[in-house]
Amino acid sequence: MTHDPSGRGPSLRLVGKDDSSDDETASVTRDVDWSILMARAQEGDRTAYRRLLQEIAPYLRSLAARRHRDPNDVEDAVQDVLLTIHSIRQTYDPTRPFAPWLVAIANRRFIDRLRRQGRTRDREIPLTAEHETFCEPQANLEVSPDRQELEGAVNNLPPAQQQALRLLKLKELSLKEAATLSGMSITSLKVNAHRALKTLRKMLVDRSQP
Amino acid sequence: MIKTPDLIASLAANATPVRRLRPPVMRAACWLLLAAVVLTLLAINQRIRPDLVQRLQEPAFAVSMAAALSTGVLAAIAAFLVSLPDRSRLWLLLPVPALAVWLSNVGYQCLVQWVAIGPDGVSLGEAARCFATLVLTSLPLSLAMLVMLRYAAPLRPTAATFMGSLAVAAITATALSLLHTIDATVMILMWNFGTAVLFVGLAGVFGRRMFRWVAPRTFYSRD
Repeated sequence: MTHDPSGRGPSLRLVGKDDSSDDETASVTRDVDWSILMARAQEGDRTAYRRLLQEIAPYLRSLAARRHRDPNDVEDAVQDVLLTIHSIRQTYDPTRPFAPWLVAIANRRFIDRLRRQGRTRDREIPLTAEHETFCEPQANLEVSPDRQELEGAVNNLPPAQQQALRLLKLKELSLKEAATLSGMSITSLKVNAHRALKTLRKMLVDRSQP
Repeated sequence: MIKTPDLIASLAANATPVRRLRPPVMRAACWLLLAAVVLTLLAINQRIRPDLVQRLQEPAFAVSMAAALSTGVLAAIAAFLVSLPDRSRLWLLLPVPALAVWLSNVGYQCLVQWVAIGPDGVSLGEAARCFATLVLTSLPLSLAMLVMLRYAAPLRPTAATFMGSLAVAAITATALSLLHTIDATVMILMWNFGTAVLFVGLAGVFGRRMFRWVAPRTFYSRD
């Protein structure tokens, strides 16, 4: 309503006019500021460049938010534009206004990004938890009863055999590693592991043939 | 993912001084100067066709030549204009009138003198030399155009490549008609129109890839 040139109430129109002219002045000043900063940045002034980028980042974010929904996308898009500006900063001509240059670059990058996302969506299917479950062999095999039984049997072994079995067979460490970890000698590890397997076999065979 | 303030800090730290691009018309003029140099060198090397003065008095030939040349000039200017982010896309229409005159003229000649191929046709030697001219003109000009337009890579790659290759094609066609006596209309059509299609087609296929190759590195490293 404030921007309607044919507003009915004279007071409203007055307010509207004032607002828009203020906006205009503000944006013109801002544009001139940015032009000067960019011109200085082209000459290698790092402080000016940093200030310019810091000032345009929120503006770019608001532009990006019109096209992207996901906040991560918005931030990615902003960074994309910042990188592009950095690499083609020599194309800016300080005698021309800054905002159209900026907005043109931003729009091109946003559109490119949307197109790329569209292509990705067409070609790819996101991997869900369900897909993953089916890929893992455990999901398709009923192993838990066997496993519980085995674990129980292992727990019934004497402590030295248990340790040797866990280190060498379940964790698949080398003899040397297992020796350092457990403090047992290699020979005793070998012997204990062998005995453990023998005992387990006996226990499990006994159980399966009652 | 890097945070935006960090990115800004690192970009600011890398802000080496850059040389501003010259105005697009001036850059187009530089490119056209290169084209003129290439044409002159070729003319010295391969000699201008002997009947050039005589042929230039024929309106059809003169018009076609002028149209090809002006298509080249206008397309070069348009290419440099659209390679900048803040110029209107409508500049793409700049070479259209000249292009229309050129193509319609070639088409007209073809229509009128369809059967005008001489008894011997066109010798193989001549065709091979034509091909040499084509490569020698278009290769340096294409490369120069590609390098000069590299800033358009993240903005309007297709439009810029299209205009650039149109400029190269038109200049090459001019070179062909300056240097070679190919009066057989089918050959004229083939060389003129074929060159244009060839370059625009090549640009369509390889344009983006070539741009990636010459473009400033940062754009595509994230893709």
